[in-house]
Amino acid sequence: MNSNKTMKAIIIDDEALARDIIKKYLEDYPDIDVAAECSNGFDGIKSIHSLKPALVFLDIQMPRLTGFEMLELLENPPVIIFTTAYDQYALKAFEVSAADYLLKPFSRERFQEAIEKALVFIDDNDANQKTVDQILTHQEARPDHLDRIVVKENAKITVIPVDKLIRIEAQDDYVMLHSREGNFLKQKTMRYYEAHLDPQRFIRIHRSHIVEISQIKQIDIVSKNSYEVVLANRETLPVSKSGYQKLKEIL
Amino acid sequence: MSNPIIENRQSLLYYLLVWSIITAFQLTILRAQFGFDWQTAIIDSLVSNGVYMILGFSFWYPCKFISLEKNNVLRILLNHIVASALAALLWLGAINFILTQLVSTEGYLDFFDRSLPWRLLIGILVYFVIVAFYYLLIYYQSFHEKVLRESELKSLVKEAQLKTLKFQINPHFIFNSLNSINSLILTMPENASEMTVKLSEFLRSTLSSNDIPTKPLGEELKTARLYLDIEKTRFGDRIHYSEDIGENALSVLVPNMLLQPLFENAVKHGVYESLETVHISFSADLDQQHLQLKLENDFDPENRPVKGEGVGLRNIRSRLEMIYNQTNLLQVEKEKTRFCIKIFIPI
Repeated sequence: MNSNKTMKAIIIDDEALARDIIKKYLEDYPDIDVAAECSNGFDGIKSIHSLKPALVFLDIQMPRLTGFEMLELLENPPVIIFTTAYDQYALKAFEVSAADYLLKPFSRERFQEAIEKALVFIDDNDANQKTVDQILTHQEARPDHLDRIVVKENAKITVIPVDKLIRIEAQDDYVMLHSREGNFLKQKTMRYYEAHLDPQRFIRIHRSHIVEISQIKQIDIVSKNSYEVVLANRETLPVSKSGYQKLKEIL
Repeated sequence: MSNPIIENRQSLLYYLLVWSIITAFQLTILRAQFGFDWQTAIIDSLVSNGVYMILGFSFWYPCKFISLEKNNVLRILLNHIVASALAALLWLGAINFILTQLVSTEGYLDFFDRSLPWRLLIGILVYFVIVAFYYLLIYYQSFHEKVLRESELKSLVKEAQLKTLKFQINPHFIFNSLNSINSLILTMPENASEMTVKLSEFLRSTLSSNDIPTKPLGEELKTARLYLDIEKTRFGDRIHYSEDIGENALSVLVPNMLLQPLFENAVKHGVYESLETVHISFSADLDQQHLQLKLENDFDPENRPVKGEGVGLRNIRSRLEMIYNQTNLLQVEKEKTRFCIKIFIPI
């Protein structure tokens, strides 16, 4: 443990009083320096990138970008202590991982425990990465449908509402999200989106293609047992045999 | 179920009245048409009708056991034809026995014998009239009971619905408020005490709200303001609130816990999800027929789209429908960055 060096910490919470109490509790730890306070996820990511803190206090419920969505966008995430008031699903995510979380309101003793635990993780980068992965995997298993997707291109974060999504195309280990606001690359699987987009609105027509149903203008037969769809924007996409079956059922 | 005619004093009176009229009618005919003396005419009409009247009470039993709903028409008819014949014969036998003992007027016995077929026919007809009357009573009674039960059931369902539709405290709000208090205790103890009192007052008003259906707008607004104050402590200048209350509006009765869920809605979709300051404005105005309430808030269009009408709004809509028996008392207008709810309270 780097006890003789000050350690940088960042507090991310959209409520000032919630940040204040963490700052107050941190006064017990002269080695931990609050390098930044952020009131939203965008500022949070920026600060994490520029300040490279060892420890981050992260609220889950925040406007525009939740704590989990932030986590998804971080490469080499720092050690994170989550704070949340009430979110049954989030609590499950913590139970399945080793990450620590503070249920608001929390006592000084409970806070100290969390810090102790975090210090262990700070020295063990692999363990930290593992807990983050566990949380993200659990989040991915959430049964509800997505209503937005966050993407990051270099330093720019974009939140794409699912309403603006036209289609998704597989590209090696990534997927290309085609939206009315442009195209974005995201490191996720087709299977993930197939499971997490509303099946009333999106259909997987091919191994490499998911399309918003209302975008489909016509289905053409190319040859026997080979079809393609034409979208409203005149793009044509191949349709697999099973994709054709699904299309027939839904249209 | 016992005999409804004997049971009910009023129907018994009507029954006696009808028989008296028939008796008087028969008396007149015997006097005027057949020229019998008063004594003979009186005895005949009294005995014939009196016996039938008493016999009529017993017709209740066939009606009770031959239910119209559980049997087919043929079976009902057949049963009653047999019963009517038996009743008429019994009746004739009885009056024959009594009248031959009581009356010795010349020519009367001859007349009696000649009138037998007519009496039989009338006896059968009267049987059916009485039976029809009994069935009518049964039908009316069960119908009445059904209506009563239905309205009871309805009010039960309504009560239960209203209970569940009423405000439920959002745990997220409670725990975050407690967290703010915890923070204030360490940083600004004076404000902590204020916040604690506000939160307690708010909780008390929501807890006690379950018993009364309506309260004056002024009181309702007080709870909503309390809620907003607490959220302001949490979010600081991210909330900007203004209100415009028309004359006399504050004393109008509105459904209990009407405003708070609307304010909560505005904070949830406006403030919770926005990076900027959110303006919330409330107005109340009285016109001839309505108290018009309007709550507006702006929201961040970049945020996740709120799908359709939330549970909160739906609940209020159905509560208004149930209380005022009118639809369309809640209107929602959604523009690009502005959300507006209008409520019309009939006065």
